[in-house]
Amino acid sequence: MIVLQNLTKKFGSFVAVDNLSLTVPQGEFFGFLGPNGAGKTTTIKMMTGLFTPSSGSIVVNGFDVQNQALEAKASIGYIPDQPFLYDKLTGREFLYYIGGLFNMPKKKIQERVKELVEHFEIGDWVDKRTEEYSQGMRQRVTITAAFLHDPKTIIIDEPMVGLDPRSARIIKDSLKQKSLEGVSIFMSTHSLEMVEELCDRIGIIKDGKLIFIDTKENLHHHKSNYDGKLESVFLELTK
Amino acid sequence: MTFSLNVQSLIKNVGSFIVFGSFAVGAFFFSRFLTAYLLEDVKIGLFLFHRFMSMLLFVFFITISLGNMVVSYSTLYRSPEVHFMLTRPIPHLTIFIIKFLDNFFYSSGTLFLAGFSVLLGYGSYFGFPWHFYLWVMLGVLVPFMFLAGCTAVIILLVLMKLASKINFKMLIGLLALFYVVQIYLYFHLTSPIDLVREVMRYYPNVNLYFGQLDPPVSNYLPNFWISQIFFFYATGNQTAVAGYCALLLLSTAAAFIALVVAGDRLFYSTWITSLTFKSFSIKKFEFTGTLFSFEKRSHFSPQNESILKKEYWQFLREPSQWIHLVVMLLLVCTFLSSVTSMDFGLQDPKLRTAVYLVVYIFDAFLITSIALRFAFPMMSLEGDAYWTVRSSPLSASKVYWTKFLIVLVPFTLIGLALAVLSNIPYILLSPLPQVTTAGMGFIAAALVSLNFGLGSYFVNYDEKNPIRIASSQGATLTFLLSIVFLVVLVIVFFFPILAVFNSIYYEIPKKISWLYYALAVIAFLSAVVGAVSHSIGVKALSRDV
Repeated sequence: MIVLQNLTKKFGSFVAVDNLSLTVPQGEFFGFLGPNGAGKTTTIKMMTGLFTPSSGSIVVNGFDVQNQALEAKASIGYIPDQPFLYDKLTGREFLYYIGGLFNMPKKKIQERVKELVEHFEIGDWVDKRTEEYSQGMRQRVTITAAFLHDPKTIIIDEPMVGLDPRSARIIKDSLKQKSLEGVSIFMSTHSLEMVEELCDRIGIIKDGKLIFIDTKENLHHHKSNYDGKLESVFLELTK
Repeated sequence: MTFSLNVQSLIKNVGSFIVFGSFAVGAFFFSRFLTAYLLEDVKIGLFLFHRFMSMLLFVFFITISLGNMVVSYSTLYRSPEVHFMLTRPIPHLTIFIIKFLDNFFYSSGTLFLAGFSVLLGYGSYFGFPWHFYLWVMLGVLVPFMFLAGCTAVIILLVLMKLASKINFKMLIGLLALFYVVQIYLYFHLTSPIDLVREVMRYYPNVNLYFGQLDPPVSNYLPNFWISQIFFFYATGNQTAVAGYCALLLLSTAAAFIALVVAGDRLFYSTWITSLTFKSFSIKKFEFTGTLFSFEKRSHFSPQNESILKKEYWQFLREPSQWIHLVVMLLLVCTFLSSVTSMDFGLQDPKLRTAVYLVVYIFDAFLITSIALRFAFPMMSLEGDAYWTVRSSPLSASKVYWTKFLIVLVPFTLIGLALAVLSNIPYILLSPLPQVTTAGMGFIAAALVSLNFGLGSYFVNYDEKNPIRIASSQGATLTFLLSIVFLVVLVIVFFFPILAVFNSIYYEIPKKISWLYYALAVIAFLSAVVGAVSHSIGVKALSRDV
């Protein structure tokens, strides 16, 4: 479960996120949309501890991200917009590294790596250095790392960058499955199709402010006021 | 147009100005004091003074040369910027020259400042006119450094050409051997101990010119030309000054022309070779030992183990990292092999104190250099992948201290080893060796703390090149602060050590307590430096990434 309350982030005089409040219940797949520079990545970075909020609070799975940062982070699986890895490590070493940071026992890491490498079809690449990886392979390893410790909440920033259609399908199915298992998913994306296909609820942010939030069912009602396309709703709202 | 005042940036710039300014003033007074001390108190004479200057300039030349070679390798062959520029319609020679000049001036800023301040101190002792400094800076010092840079990059181009034909490990071995043999041969041929003895035979007429004592090979060395320029300027032989100046300028011009020709012929082809060489190096440097395998269990906590193993493998799989460390350690070993057998046969307590402190401070200076090169960039080298650490359930301070221990332990041990071996000639002067060795433990720990702490404060996750990180403005500031710390150490240790040598010379009881007081002061200062550095460093890690 994720609760954002009056969340604000300022960079000097620029307000990137402005008094944002929303709740994502346990097991919900939440789609976070917005034009470039709207504040999506900034919000996600605050939720994962990469940015400190200027004001407001974030509670993830009952833990305040600022005051109980370690507990909160232990329950989150984070997939950033750019899959930056340590170039000199192999994929397997990187996954063991992440497992260690999450205090996982070696045996558990071994089991999960075997299972997830097979699931995400990483194959022999897992034993090659990540500097030799394509963007898509890096993304798969990053997603594997986020799934490794069975988090209660997954936070994703643009998950489909660089993925081929088959990989994208695997990731979508995996995320949907996780959501059905009770994992909360907070996903920022530009892909309206993906939002329509996967999300239970959708929020749209513009200039740091939440301008729309509703369920997929109600969204269909909004769409009928336009030409039946989510794209038209999005373009109208973010105009 | 709006004017916005960034207070943090202003404080940083004012702080930089104060530190750089203090360093320049400190270097000026230190140089002036040292010149006066050696010529008036110790009375070594003009000839020996300038021969010592020549030796220092030789080390300076080698340092600039090595520095330029390593930086140029990274920026010419490993930089995405060059990769991008070579895909544009820009002649490769233009890219080569621009990057060479960029490297040279980027990595030489502090050396220019240090050189000019020292020059001012030296010149002001002799009362030289103002135009001396301008001429020496632009006509002597800059060409000398430029010559070192050109030579280094020509060697680099030749090495890159050979890299496709010779085994890479052998090539690196040959390069390291080349530098070590050069240093050994230089000090073997110039033999400073014999030179001091020979010149001192003519005491008190030590201001005469003893050119017959110089080995013939000296005539071919740029450091020798510079010392000759200064010697003859000080003794009023303007013809000789003009001759050596012309030799230096012509050699520099010739080296630059040779560099341009070599760059035109070799840069692009060696850059193409370096693309295949990258994958070649990956295979050749595949460290596959299982001792630090991630899959193997250890006694550390999972988080500490992860960080330690990640650092270990990243270091070993990046040749530019461990090769540079090996080269630096080879220089340390060469220095040590010279120091342990060094006996000038000196009796004068002040001179013995000066020699002892010069060696001791040089030990600390080596630790500073190693810490600046390896401890300072350590947090920055987390790079774009730092999100993995910040989004994981471990505190910034845990990351900080684990990484700090990785550099603290080996570098402090190197410091202690340097102090122990440098003290071999003084083994009978107990407790001097024990106290200064213990002092070196504190000093090394403080220097590593300073470099690591400020490296965290000036962290730059976008820069992937550790050498450029270690040459950044923040690194330069850190280096200058380290030098200030070393100067304070000289002040603290000078009188207690002088008292030890006085007690031997004048056969009076030793003032041992002075040594212990000095050690306590060093321990206190080191603790303060460490505490402040760590406080700044840990706090900085909580910044937004």
